Amino acid sequence: MTLSDFTSFLMKNSKTIMEYSENHFTLVLLAVGISLAIWVPVGLLLTKSDKWAARVLALANTIFCIPSLSMFAILVTIPMFGLGRKSALLALVLYAMMPLIRSVYDGVKNVDRNVIEAARGMGMGTRRILIEILVPLGMPIIFAGFRITVVMTTGIAAIATYIGERNLGRFIQEGLIRSNTPMMVTGALIISAIAIGLDTILGLVEKRIVPKGLRISR
Amino acid sequence: MIELDQITKQYPGQAMPAVDKLFLSIPKGEICVLVGPSGCGKSTILRMINRMIEPTSGIVKINGDDVTRTDPDQLRMGIGYVIQQIGLLPHRTIAENIAVVPRLYKWPKGKINKRVDELIVMMGLDLEKTRGKYPAQLSGGQMQRVGVARAMAVDPPIMLMDEPFGAVDPIARTHLQDELLRLQKEIKKTIVFVTHDINEAIKMGDRIAIFDAGKLVQFGTPEEILTNPINEFVEDFIGRDRVVKKLNLYLAEDAMQPIGCVVKGNELHTVAQKMKDAHVRVAFLLNEEGKACGQITVSDTEEFGRDIEGLRKRVLRTEKAFVQTTTPFPDALSLLLEYDTDYLGILKGEELCGMLSFKGIRKHVYRKEGE
Repeated sequence: MTLSDFTSFLMKNSKTIMEYSENHFTLVLLAVGISLAIWVPVGLLLTKSDKWAARVLALANTIFCIPSLSMFAILVTIPMFGLGRKSALLALVLYAMMPLIRSVYDGVKNVDRNVIEAARGMGMGTRRILIEILVPLGMPIIFAGFRITVVMTTGIAAIATYIGERNLGRFIQEGLIRSNTPMMVTGALIISAIAIGLDTILGLVEKRIVPKGLRISR
Repeated sequence: MIELDQITKQYPGQAMPAVDKLFLSIPKGEICVLVGPSGCGKSTILRMINRMIEPTSGIVKINGDDVTRTDPDQLRMGIGYVIQQIGLLPHRTIAENIAVVPRLYKWPKGKINKRVDELIVMMGLDLEKTRGKYPAQLSGGQMQRVGVARAMAVDPPIMLMDEPFGAVDPIARTHLQDELLRLQKEIKKTIVFVTHDINEAIKMGDRIAIFDAGKLVQFGTPEEILTNPINEFVEDFIGRDRVVKKLNLYLAEDAMQPIGCVVKGNELHTVAQKMKDAHVRVAFLLNEEGKACGQITVSDTEEFGRDIEGLRKRVLRTEKAFVQTTTPFPDALSLLLEYDTDYLGILKGEELCGMLSFKGIRKHVYRKEGE
């Protein structure tokens, strides 16, 4: 493949590239959004009960171990889901369970007990302690888990092309079948760029969202 | 006033109750120290006052009101709470940390800022430098100052302090203790103070409650406890230097005796006669400005006889053998030993107002011991 092959592929297929990128992007965004809405509260809830935390974290771990192709294959056989976005979303949300629940749980559990004790002793209620202390102090760990989730979701979303998602994964899949190198490279590069780009943006967000007092040392 | 009535705390799965049928009445405006070996239940008792722990049975009353009638958060907002590990919020500045409870009370911003500044200054911290810093930028002693300031933010009548100075270095600890005592003279709060250090208990407490295995063994003023330890446990806990510890309770002025004889620099040759006439064994030398600058004993005059210059030199060796009226006995004793003398002049500011003798100290302590 020469550079001109590659550029001419880009020129000729710009509309498809845009469409696939958009699909890829919205799938990732939806999956991450739903995952956050479900798993962050679950993670917070689990900090209340060690027994349940052990159970749910074990389940999340097990789900995380299932290879993504197998997962998609299993979901497709379930009548309610079948081929398409529903199955893709469900799989991605299930994969996000482990890193999100784990990081929220660890983040909150790692907060210095003495800080919580002092806050309670001053008359701060449970809700206030959660919002003003546990979440901000757990933020470095929680956010690390969130970044991993986003990058991972971008990657696994590409595989959803096998169950009918028309996204950047398709370039790689079809490129492989047709031995079309420019097509493969285009898919691979754009997916990587999206993952790296999102992670970089989140890195910048992290700097703003992690409390200043935690980054300061003597 | 805080009253604990028949308080028992039984933790599940433990044979012995952590606190066993405790009755304790803590008077208003005093520092009451709960002291005992670790695991004696003293922290548990403290934490039952602000409902961090609920008793298995019994009632805690503050000013006659059962604490369980108040919502726990509301109750705690009105009670200062200081713990050994301090627990400052690491993501908040010092000013924000001190402002936590005023914010819970929804004070207006201006009032909060004013109070925060006042407290930072009161705690002997540099206002401009400290306000915007984060806890990680302070030393242990400074952090605990902030911890105490935070507990005092809304001027609560009651403060609970759980080994507040246990984790700071000895020098900072002494400073913090002295400052709390100084502050307490003005603010007169009801302070419940937990420690395992009997010396700290003696120093800080208006009253001391000694605990062993969940039971109150003795409750009284430091003097009562040091004078009449109720049993062997208390005696052991105080230590074999019980009477030496008692010295800490007294100040130089408590055993002050009048001065019998003073001389000026040009009267040294008459000092022997003067002491004889006054029937005293020590005289003090005053300089031109009337300030005391040394002591002459009868044995000095006998040793030097007519050698006035020798006597003068000897006198000037005791130039610093003076204490203030508020000097505690141990410091005075140390000076007596350092100068190998039986007498110290007592100053009030710069003025000589009396003297303290070795015998006087002994008699004072003995009399107290015999009471």
